Amino acid sequence: MSDHPRKTTVTLEELLRLKRAEQPPAEFWAQFERGMRAKQLAAIVEPRPWWAPFIRIGARLSRYQLPVGATAILAITFLTVWEYHPTGAATTFEPAVAETSGMAVSAPASVKLTAVDSAVGPAMASATVVASGPAQALAAADVQATQPAATLGTSSHVAVVNSELASARYVAENLAAAQAADPQFDQMLGSALRGVESSPTRAEPLAQISVPGNSRRSRILGGVTWLASASTGNSALRLDEQATHHLTERRLSESDVVSRVDVGGDRVTVKF
Amino acid sequence: MDAVKTLGKTLVASPERQLEADSDLAIVRRVQEGDVAAFDQLVLKYRGRVYSVVYNLTSNREDAADLTQDAFIKSFQSINRFQGQSSFFTWLYRIAVNSTLTHLRKNRLRTFFSFEKINEDDKVSSEVIAALTDNTGADHETFARELQEKLNEAMQKLSIRHRTVITLFEIDGLGHQEIAEIMNCSVGTVRSRLHYAKQLLQSELQPYIRR
Repeated sequence: MSDHPRKTTVTLEELLRLKRAEQPPAEFWAQFERGMRAKQLAAIVEPRPWWAPFIRIGARLSRYQLPVGATAILAITFLTVWEYHPTGAATTFEPAVAETSGMAVSAPASVKLTAVDSAVGPAMASATVVASGPAQALAAADVQATQPAATLGTSSHVAVVNSELASARYVAENLAAAQAADPQFDQMLGSALRGVESSPTRAEPLAQISVPGNSRRSRILGGVTWLASASTGNSALRLDEQATHHLTERRLSESDVVSRVDVGGDRVTVKF
Repeated sequence: MDAVKTLGKTLVASPERQLEADSDLAIVRRVQEGDVAAFDQLVLKYRGRVYSVVYNLTSNREDAADLTQDAFIKSFQSINRFQGQSSFFTWLYRIAVNSTLTHLRKNRLRTFFSFEKINEDDKVSSEVIAALTDNTGADHETFARELQEKLNEAMQKLSIRHRTVITLFEIDGLGHQEIAEIMNCSVGTVRSRLHYAKQLLQSELQPYIRR
């Protein structure tokens, strides 16, 4: 007989109270205490990994998510714009240099420049100018240095011109030293430059390449042309014999150039 | 620092909990200053409740013991980071619940139950078992065992989040606000999950509920 009063209703909450009554025995806690002590000692003795301080720093920085995130976005945006800007300036730089070289050519200074030199680029132009005389080269280089800076106003262009100016001065100084050492240096240099200018121009490599179909086309058309010229001066009989001998219908029909050939009487008709 | 203390106090529900939180904070400060042995007081104070929560989430006493120990070790290792923004009790519960949820997700397919015995000295549980066995005429101990299995089966049919809410509210007796802090969600979410979990349990345990 139970001492507890009889219950007439059992609710879900009361059923769940049974779960609260599921308790471990007393000896369980002694074992728990031993395991806990061992784990605690292991945690104290165990060396911390090298990345543990970073986790601590990250946890502290997590409080400042918004400012850190905003700063990172701004930095990335700034770097992207900074990297993109010089690239855009470089694309517009090429025609500006060519224009500047042209201006240097048309300058009234006694500078001898060919059209090829101005087209090759500023470095080549500077070398040719220097060959005519160090003083004039310096003047031309100065013109190059001031004009682009005034017209373009970009820092990259000024830097390139300054480097050209430095190289022109370097060449001029060396040339002056060579002239001082050897008085006949000018004549030797002049003859050498004339030899370079009078040398035959090199053919364009792409122009030397022939299309594979061209040789076959010229071979077939050459035969047809010979037939046409022969037909004007000789008899029709001879023409027929030679035409059937040299140019058969089958051979011509194999070609993708000549689609149809008619040989009749004193004329040969070729339809393309 | 005062603002932090004020915030910590506002998050504690009742005056009893407030006193408890203050005494816990004093012990935590001692541990932070180097008195490692003071941490044993916190372990002795909360090991039963933490174990109960973890056990009711896992339904496995061995896993519950390991996870409870791990929760205390983690809190011991991180005690210098505890700044008193919430009560130590809430912080410890959050560590234990998160560790348990991670364990359950990792071992989703491995379900092995091992139960503790129902304490017969508990008045409410004795009344419930008596009321249910009087109708069936079954043996008390056998019926209690069967009822325990049915209860755990019904609990395991709940999702992890719903099981956590029902465990913390109905079994451990925490308030909505405290559960919201532990689970890092809103009070409305806690209420919603609690309602849904109760509906599901009611349908599962219908044969044992008498109106």
